[in-house]
Amino acid sequence: MHCDDIRDQLDKLWDGQALGEIRQHLASCAACSSYHRDLRLVRAGFSLLRQEETPAPSLGFAQRLVRQLTEVSKVPSMADFFERVGRRFVYATLALTLLAILALAVPSTGPVRALTVSDIQVPAQEASLANSDPMGESLPQESPGVAPADAPVPAVPSEAK
Amino acid sequence: MENSGAPVAQEIQWIKSAQHGDPEAFGPLVEKHQQRVFALVYHLVRRRDEVEDLAQEIFIKAFRAIRSYNFQSSFATWLSRIATNHCYDYLRHERVARVSYYWQMGENSQQELEANLESLPEHVLDHEEQMVLKDMVSKLLDRAPENDKEILVMKELQDYSVEEIADLLKLKPTTVKVRLHRARKRMLDDLRQWREESKGHAL
Repeated sequence: MHCDDIRDQLDKLWDGQALGEIRQHLASCAACSSYHRDLRLVRAGFSLLRQEETPAPSLGFAQRLVRQLTEVSKVPSMADFFERVGRRFVYATLALTLLAILALAVPSTGPVRALTVSDIQVPAQEASLANSDPMGESLPQESPGVAPADAPVPAVPSEAK
Repeated sequence: MENSGAPVAQEIQWIKSAQHGDPEAFGPLVEKHQQRVFALVYHLVRRRDEVEDLAQEIFIKAFRAIRSYNFQSSFATWLSRIATNHCYDYLRHERVARVSYYWQMGENSQQELEANLESLPEHVLDHEEQMVLKDMVSKLLDRAPENDKEILVMKELQDYSVEEIADLLKLKPTTVKVRLHRARKRMLDDLRQWREESKGHAL
């Protein structure tokens, strides 16, 4: 049996079950014998550490911990705060995005279109043209949809005859 | 082992209440698992005066994370995972010790210790010899890669079964056996290397 095989049988050595063949090799091989000696040292060290008495919780450890957790849970944590604020921020961003998409998608002309500058300027020009008719022959023309229906009709100069 | 396997009905009730934010329900869970957590922390950290503070931090962390516990593994296993990670976070800030009492013993004392160990069980060695061996293995554990240390502490010091370690590390039992074998081998190789280093320093 070679040295490498011996080292691979480590688990058996570790558990203290060195087989006859391994023992024979150990007796004749200084390197493996030294390896085995180290193994025994380490295994003994582990065994002693395992037997050590581990520290026990002090009296009332669990009760103190629960009290501490109760106090901590009363105060909202920073994580909760950011979670709450973050969620609101996401909702607001979604709402704004939706509005922006609607504004772009709906055409700018339509029944709810606001008055523009050209809407105001056109009737004003027409009115000034009607007033400046020197012959009084032309009747004021209604501009449907722009001039109000009950707008005063300009005076007809026939009365002057 | 008593703590392995699925949680029993009473424990499930405590866990569910704690998951709804009830610290009072967490109390019995602490009482049930505190000794195991203390032992694990002590074996990983090896500082008696730090154990209670670390255990307290671990339980607080566990309470805050308890909603992530999904009953797939035992509660003890889940808690051990938190404890192990927390101890490693703590140890990463610590310096690894370079000197062992074993190297400071004279050659004759070393040989005497080895001869005694051949004929006597370790627990009947004298106090100083026991202290030297414990110190040596503690420091070898400190020098070991994290994965090796973790598996060696669980198997050799905490006496967890291979199946329990597999559950804890999310590995197959056969993989655990292979890793354990390699970890032991690496530790022995490191002991030899450390011996050479210490001889070099002594010269």
